Amino acid sequence: MTKDILASNFFELFDLPVAYDIDTGKMQQAYMALQKQVHPDRFASASDQEKRISMQQTSWINEAQTTLKDPVQRAAYMLKLKGLDINLHNETTMDAAFLMQQLEMRERLENIKKEADPLAALDKMAKDVKQSSSELMQGFARAYEEDRLDDAREYIRKLQFMQKAKNQINNLIADIEDELMG
Amino acid sequence: MALLQIAEPGQSTTPHQHRLAVGIDLGTTNSLVATVRSGEVTTLADANGKHLLPSVVHYGEDGVQVGEEALKYSVSDPYNTIVSVKRYMGRGHADVQGDDAHHSYHFADTDSTVPRFKTRRGEVSAIEVSAEILKVLKQRAEESLGGELVGAVITVPAYFDDAQRQATKDAARLAGLEVLRLLNEPTAAAVAYGLDTGNEGVIAVYDLGGGTFDISILRLNKGVFEVLATGGNSSLGGDDFDYAISQWIIEQAGESYRETPESKRLIMQQAKAAKEQLAEAQSVDITIDSGDFHWQGTLDRDTMEELIRPLVQKTLMSCRRALRDAGVDNEDISEVVMVGGSTRTLLVREMVAGFFDCELLTGIDPDKVVATGAALQADVLAGNKPDDEMLLLDVIPLSLGIETMGGLVEKIIHRNTAIPVSRAQDFTTYKDGQTAMAIHVLQGERELVSDCRSLARFELRGIPPQVAGAARIRVTFQVDADGLLIVSAREENSGVEASVDVKPSYGLSDSEVETMLRDSIEHAEEDMHLRMLREQQVEADRVIEALDSALAVDGDELLSEKEKTAIAAAREELLQARDGNDTNVIEEKIKQLEAVCEDYVARRMNSNIKSAMQGHSIEEYASDSEAGDS
Repeated sequence: MTKDILASNFFELFDLPVAYDIDTGKMQQAYMALQKQVHPDRFASASDQEKRISMQQTSWINEAQTTLKDPVQRAAYMLKLKGLDINLHNETTMDAAFLMQQLEMRERLENIKKEADPLAALDKMAKDVKQSSSELMQGFARAYEEDRLDDAREYIRKLQFMQKAKNQINNLIADIEDELMG
Repeated sequence: MALLQIAEPGQSTTPHQHRLAVGIDLGTTNSLVATVRSGEVTTLADANGKHLLPSVVHYGEDGVQVGEEALKYSVSDPYNTIVSVKRYMGRGHADVQGDDAHHSYHFADTDSTVPRFKTRRGEVSAIEVSAEILKVLKQRAEESLGGELVGAVITVPAYFDDAQRQATKDAARLAGLEVLRLLNEPTAAAVAYGLDTGNEGVIAVYDLGGGTFDISILRLNKGVFEVLATGGNSSLGGDDFDYAISQWIIEQAGESYRETPESKRLIMQQAKAAKEQLAEAQSVDITIDSGDFHWQGTLDRDTMEELIRPLVQKTLMSCRRALRDAGVDNEDISEVVMVGGSTRTLLVREMVAGFFDCELLTGIDPDKVVATGAALQADVLAGNKPDDEMLLLDVIPLSLGIETMGGLVEKIIHRNTAIPVSRAQDFTTYKDGQTAMAIHVLQGERELVSDCRSLARFELRGIPPQVAGAARIRVTFQVDADGLLIVSAREENSGVEASVDVKPSYGLSDSEVETMLRDSIEHAEEDMHLRMLREQQVEADRVIEALDSALAVDGDELLSEKEKTAIAAAREELLQARDGNDTNVIEEKIKQLEAVCEDYVARRMNSNIKSAMQGHSIEEYASDSEAGDS
């Protein structure tokens, strides 16, 4: 029953079941409870050895939280638990229709500042991206449960596109806001 | 709790029950030291009753002066009087040239990566100048508290990069101060206002000091401070207000202006005085009398506000960005903590209140609020409040990355990631038989190497020769709780540890720090040996004492007979070495004992976690496991 932090997987660490939908409130609670015990501040006047262990444990907990919070990283991590270790940098989808759609969106984003109301257009696109992402996430969760790991992997690839699009949209919104502020 | 925090009464190697620890606000304009005495925070004064120590160091004919004494020379002896030295911490030669508009110093041509001020007492780096300030504060604290300090919490702007943090830590080391933690200034300010007790919600800390601006967005939740985002500008502050006003004076003076280092300094001083008076008065008369330059005029508040408005506006832009990074809106902010002397300026308060549309916390002297928070945290870290629930969770303020092909930066740890954190990255060789590899580490948000700040170049050596692309070198970037980077590397196929040579881009190498340390110790060599031996013996006692009390508590429970025997043997060896007079042997035996105890220490720490989690779980986890099954 002893909790060996460094030997626990990210879900075990926070007493969560291995499933794509996670209870973020509960994760946050467990995260804080663990931090309060292992954080280096608790070992500021302890031995170098304890300081080092504390740093390793806290790093692991932080890594766990960062990974599980992010929809793409969480999905990739779940595949890893199944023995499928993928490098997100090298993953790309071959779905032609999907790629076409992405290309069109990119082109529109490049010229969005010339549109009549770019902020409204970006808000709308952000909403669409969110909707598509959430469908892809549901797809992943289903595929994972049914142990169709190749399908699950394909969902991750597409989700990655959506995440990039989301970042691009947010950056553009920030740019335009800054310009408006002068 | 921790192994080494257990000390039997009467056997303690430290003579004081209460461990003396201080908080230090090492500011651009002023520095301050504070401590917790009988539960109350007090800032410590010098012999004349002054609390603020001007961050000024004068290298004079007959010695080094710090503070008020040094400030007297800032006009008459500017080249030997270093003010606002914090601006130069962790900076390189190019930065110095860019920043020279404000100050006038002579810099030496040097091989060192850090610029060195030429003074009549020789060349000094910003780290050494800061160490002078810290030495004065350390001495003040030890005299006023009547004992040796176990350590200090030193505050740094949240915006400080790795080089600047490392420089601060090096300065402390030179001053003989143990750093318990480098703490972000805005976080310290929130702690000072006691926002850790009972408050829940999102707050902003607006810190406009003499030379730096920081905005932090913090979430408070049951004693836990989470920094959601930090932002700011490491070269914008009240000094820039003074500069803007001084430029106005020069403009008004027109052709009668005579530029000399003295006249520049005098105008800056008058500008600063005028700014401070305008917090009360509607207008002030200014008189400049320096050599063959004389000027007299009147500055009213409206004029001053027009001069500084663009600067305040700049700070608000940083606030917007920080809010966006944190993913919160203006309305989500329940309070704004005001920190730094420059927040006394009325226009600043007006514009900040207008921007956040909420009340400002200004109850604590804005010059003392950071040191106050640092002192509270130092008290906790020194172990004086073992039951305290306060925990500061901090983030890395700027992304860390490495240089890749084509002068691009690949981010390895993104900004606002909770620290400590570690990330591993795999590299491979591109030539047959390659045994070394260079890695360039950068900090910043931009994509091009040239737009980011170079932190260090690491050279990995001792890679076993293999065909190109076969080696798998795993480089681990570990950022500790102070936000400082540690790099280690390992060849995965062979398990060989590659040695890492660090060449900090804007810092001192370890050997440079060693040299300075040696130079700074005035004792004869023999004394030094004796001192090191004494220190190592004390350390040995500390380790044995802690081990004994730990074994008494749970040795039987957590250790097998075999493990106990091994530990006892290593303990005995250390005991014997301790009574000898070879410092190195003692050190080695301590390391040996620690290695033997490694698993035991980890088990102890883990078993603590277990019991605490169980304590937590009764109601919380019962419902959770149901949810998990469904």
